[in-house]
Amino acid sequence: MTFTTQLEIGLKLFNANLKQAWRDKTNWMTAGMFAITALLLYSFAFNLTGGLVRNLLPGVIWTVFLFSGIFATAQSFQQDRQNGILDALKISPIHPMTIYIAKTLTNILMLLLIEFALLLGATILFSEPLFIPQLLLIVTIGTIGYTALSTLLSAINLDRNNGGLLLPVLALPLLVPLLIASVEATSASLQEEANTAPWILLLSLFTIWSAAIATLMFPLAD
Amino acid sequence: MSEVGFLFAGFAVFWAGMFTYLVILQVRIRNLQNQVDMLENTIENHDEI
Amino acid sequence: MILNNIYELRWKVLPPAAGVAMIGMAALALITAPTEVVEGDVQRLLYVHLPSALASYFAFSVTAVCSVLFLLKRDFKWDSAAQGAAIVGLIFTLLTLMTGSLWGKPIWGVYWQWDPRITTTLILFLIFSAYLIARKSTSLDSDKSARFCSIYAIIGFLDIPLIHMSVRWWRTLHPQPIIAKLNPALPDEMLLVTLVSVLAVILVAAWFITLGIETELLSQRLLKLKAIGKANISEKS
Repeated sequence: MTFTTQLEIGLKLFNANLKQAWRDKTNWMTAGMFAITALLLYSFAFNLTGGLVRNLLPGVIWTVFLFSGIFATAQSFQQDRQNGILDALKISPIHPMTIYIAKTLTNILMLLLIEFALLLGATILFSEPLFIPQLLLIVTIGTIGYTALSTLLSAINLDRNNGGLLLPVLALPLLVPLLIASVEATSASLQEEANTAPWILLLSLFTIWSAAIATLMFPLAD
Repeated sequence: MSEVGFLFAGFAVFWAGMFTYLVILQVRIRNLQNQVDMLENTIENHDEI
Repeated sequence: MILNNIYELRWKVLPPAAGVAMIGMAALALITAPTEVVEGDVQRLLYVHLPSALASYFAFSVTAVCSVLFLLKRDFKWDSAAQGAAIVGLIFTLLTLMTGSLWGKPIWGVYWQWDPRITTTLILFLIFSAYLIARKSTSLDSDKSARFCSIYAIIGFLDIPLIHMSVRWWRTLHPQPIIAKLNPALPDEMLLVTLVSVLAVILVAAWFITLGIETELLSQRLLKLKAIGKANISEKS
């Protein structure tokens, strides 16, 4: 198949994935609820009301994002597999990379929705300017980076019942560079004289690296 | 602990770690080999019957 | 073919060579090597610490290469080799971290520093532990699981430079306690001892890897035999 037909099919798949995600919202609602609850828990645990907010907030935000994101993407292919859609796709002439990219884009979009909403909430709760273009850019790049990896890892149905529990253990060590880069970039963007450039660079590097590797590896995975 | 104490501890950990792993491996290999031999024998005998 | 020949040597050449090298290394490191002026005798830990670190990287490289080979050839032999090497890598990573801590306490005053190299080693330990947990918790003859774990090992291995880079920036863009940059260039005698110990530990690691591979191969053979046995029984009945 030519590239353009793959692109067309990819767009259709993306559309279908989005519709499916919209239909059974429970997965995403749970992820959103988890993120909100975790944020509140952190604010009680660290007493995020004093002057310390600015120092702790980047770490809090990113751990919440990573945990909720990984849990949300853990089941990415679960439904498709149960309904036999994945098997149908596999024998069709659609390239596996197209399937992977469509699914990853869906995950990215849904997670960004949750994360932006959370940032808006945190802006109000902690009265810190979190909803700024620079931070939104950092969050977007970071989300693309970790979703690329966690979607790839979620694609594999390890023949065991607690595969969902295994995913964070597998994904988080790989995501250390991403976590460091995004936390540092976030805290730099909250400073008066922001110097986010080196961290955004590292973050972009990680994102490109993970997206490229995951896309190339997916055809071998399932 | 003195400096020599730390040196001793480091070397002890290193050698003990390697020997323990070696022993564990040997035991595992022997066990597995025994099981494989036993099963192979059983299967052969089974065929003859 | 060459690989098979090397593999045949695992009982003939590797153990005596590794044994002799290790004894030589112990003697050289504890007796012959000059005492370091600044650090004193503790510095001798370098002769087990550095080789262990190199051996762990060696073992993890073997895991990564065998994982690539498994994905290309789909022969479970390579999957076994990757697992066997990963365990050895983990052992040596642990030894590296422990000897490093025991050196750090008298020199730095603390067992642990969030130094880039230490942190990278720790994360490496986590990645390959996760790899082994994933591999061991699924059936050995599952093609899917083996493929997945191979992919994971490759990604983990390729992640190392990024981890190292990020941790280094993380530490250096922050104010940090001054870590004395000790022994930037080793004197000739120490260099010689270091080389001998690296050789010795790499030999031991190679031997361990062959043993580890042997256990994994035997486990797989056992699994196959059990399957045959079951088939036979159901055939007769």
